[in-house]
Amino acid sequence: MEHPLRILVVLPLYGGSLPIGRYCASALTDLGHTVDVFEAPVFHDAHTALRGLRVAESRTEQLENAFINLLGQAIYARIERFEPDLVLALAQAPMSRQLLLRLRKEGIPSAMWFVEDYRIFSYWRVFAPLYDFFFVIQKEPFLSLLEGAGVPNAMYLPVAALPDFHRKLELTPGQQHEYGADLSFLGAGYPNRRAAFRTLLRRNFKIWGSDWEGDALLASRVQRGGVRISAEESVLVYNATKININLHSSLNADTLVSGGDFVNPRTFELAAMEAFQLVDRRSLMPDLFRLDGEQAELAVFSSPEEMETAIDFYLAHPEARQDVTRRGRERILAEHTYQHRMNAMLGFIQSRLPNWPRARAQHSWPEGLSDGTREELARLLTELGLPSDASFDDMIVRLRNRSGELKSLEVGLLFLDEWHKQYS
Amino acid sequence: MMKRLVIQLARFGDIVQSKRLILSLLRDGEVHVCVDRSLASLARLVYPDCVVHAVPAHSCDARTVLEEGRTLFERLHTERFDEVYTLNNAGLCKAVASLFPPETVRGYSVRSGQVQRCRWMRMAFRWMALRRCSPLNLADFWAALAPAPLSPALVNPPAAPGGKGLGIVLAGQVWHRSAPPEALALLTRIQAERLGGAGKCPVYLLGTAKEHPAARELMSRLPGTIVETCRDLTGKTDWAALADVLSGLDLLLSPDTGTAHLAAHLGVPVMGLFCSSAWAWETGPYGLGHTILQTDLPCAPCVESSPCAQGVPCRAFFTDSDLLAYLAGKGKTARHFPQRVRILHSAFDEIGQIWREESGPPRGVPVPRVPSAGTREHDTRMRNALRAQLAEYLGLGGAHGTEAATLLYNESDWILPPLKP
Repeated sequence: MEHPLRILVVLPLYGGSLPIGRYCASALTDLGHTVDVFEAPVFHDAHTALRGLRVAESRTEQLENAFINLLGQAIYARIERFEPDLVLALAQAPMSRQLLLRLRKEGIPSAMWFVEDYRIFSYWRVFAPLYDFFFVIQKEPFLSLLEGAGVPNAMYLPVAALPDFHRKLELTPGQQHEYGADLSFLGAGYPNRRAAFRTLLRRNFKIWGSDWEGDALLASRVQRGGVRISAEESVLVYNATKININLHSSLNADTLVSGGDFVNPRTFELAAMEAFQLVDRRSLMPDLFRLDGEQAELAVFSSPEEMETAIDFYLAHPEARQDVTRRGRERILAEHTYQHRMNAMLGFIQSRLPNWPRARAQHSWPEGLSDGTREELARLLTELGLPSDASFDDMIVRLRNRSGELKSLEVGLLFLDEWHKQYS
Repeated sequence: MMKRLVIQLARFGDIVQSKRLILSLLRDGEVHVCVDRSLASLARLVYPDCVVHAVPAHSCDARTVLEEGRTLFERLHTERFDEVYTLNNAGLCKAVASLFPPETVRGYSVRSGQVQRCRWMRMAFRWMALRRCSPLNLADFWAALAPAPLSPALVNPPAAPGGKGLGIVLAGQVWHRSAPPEALALLTRIQAERLGGAGKCPVYLLGTAKEHPAARELMSRLPGTIVETCRDLTGKTDWAALADVLSGLDLLLSPDTGTAHLAAHLGVPVMGLFCSSAWAWETGPYGLGHTILQTDLPCAPCVESSPCAQGVPCRAFFTDSDLLAYLAGKGKTARHFPQRVRILHSAFDEIGQIWREESGPPRGVPVPRVPSAGTREHDTRMRNALRAQLAEYLGLGGAHGTEAATLLYNESDWILPPLKP
């Protein structure tokens, strides 16, 4: 992008798309854009309380709709203040229909990154047409279905990794002991995983994550009673494990390796960390990684039997693990970071919206500032994560999002901004 | 001893109207006042016992605003005030508020970038939705932020004629809040006559250099005997000179202006010419001995920023023949009592300033026991009810009925975690 944008990232209240939303915000900031994040998760407890009211189910639904509308109004209030060039929502973000219609009427572009399986989350049909841009992790037939549903601006955009976060770590002996194993799996207990992992019980194998209840065989391997593992802690697990099993989820217990299309976030994250993974082959994977031959960037399997063979081989050949992970990380850094994805997303939007972003009146930096003030401003820009040529207005947006006590220079800048409004 | 800062970044009149608050705070500690640099010498004049901080804003360039502003903010930060009072609903004031821990701020505070109104400010926005029934003078509203407001009677000296003549403020900050020249000429004649007769009462024409043409126009409408005693001081007075001229005047004729508030501060009787968005119950001159001629239409008071589609007809009411006859002492009959301009005299109750309205001799028309909405009687009843409710809130009296309480309180007061008072 020629000029930095103002982008509001609307996070969901919960779930797998939540960390991806945070990665997007981080990547957009790294790219020099001014980002504001609507922290929907802070409202999650309120929603949990509504669900637990023990009232008539019709009433619960009514209350939930009112709650979503309230969140929509809160998001709109942020939009009024921040005046974004784009509102980027992640799957399950609380963007009400009313809010989306209002944004469209006011010409504020909205985008959804639907990082879900469209076959399972079929509600996309209702909401996709309300967004100006719809990004998905699957190709055909989903893209055609979207077009048929009246979504002209849809694009395939696979998930990725955030190298600053998904990185190789030097673990302490204590961490290695707590998180380490020959084999680990981190994720929810879908039926295909439950069935597939029974054969791993004879090995040094740990299961991390939730939704593993009711499986007596696997119970002894489930860590911490099956609590959710944070994104931060998952990095420790991945780094500490010799072989991370990455089996894409399926509701079908009969087909252990589902052979589906999209590639899950874990694939990219593990590769970015240079943590070894055995991952089930997906139809969209060859576009993203080299899978076969001596230069393979991922170690894949297509059946439980192949998984077992590969486990034996790679446990016995640590150098082979290292070769694969090194190449995998190189591929990630070259093509599959969230920075790459955000650039692709913004490029697509720009190609479809020729006059985007709309020009806005910008206040300039005061002329004739002393060298001392200039130096202080340069330091402040660095502190705020802004480039040295950032605009006055972008710096003000960052300052307004700062928490804690402000310093005199920061207050002086906010005062100058208000002065512009009153006297310009 | 408390150390407090009052941030008052609004206009001339607002600085003077902060007096009751500032005097209240001065009783138990040190008070600093932060004002726009262009008004700093005025603030020093009105508040000689305060430390005045001048923030660069009006008529400054951006570099000065930033560099000299931040130097001042650094100084304010290091002062470590026990309490900070932020009075203005304006971005400049809120930006300065962000310098201080929100726990110490009364008025508008800033927590993690989010501006919050204290409970008293929130309530004010509710009653401002009913401006015709406005229950509180601005000076009393700000004073109520203080832990123990000073008695209203101790704020300004009771106004009394000083024998020095008549002052005329030619215009308010905006034209539609000012009496038209023909009205000002007629009212000047009447008051000059009353104060000793044409040619015997000195008349001082006051305003900025911008008002110089208005001064000439006024003089062109006055008889020669008065013109001879006129001194056109437009554009010739700094704050100190203005205070000198005002001191000892018999009367100041003025729209709702800072000069009128300064006169009240000095104990000079003010006859306020209030029209358009000027509303006596909000910003009338503070103290005893003042009179307001308040024009009144059902649309009054109008919104200052919205143009009047009818061309501000209320301004012309100051030439109403009944009013002029009444002021000249010739119209005290029921038949000719002015109807379109209300004549109000300042007084006090336990909360602060009130206005007693001259009603003229009885007209024989019965007043209904429960006045209908939109009538002056209804406004007065509601104003009194709101005032009683506020007195109860401030611990100064008791209220009856729920109508006013319904307007002042809402669910958030009842349900949500409390805000600072």
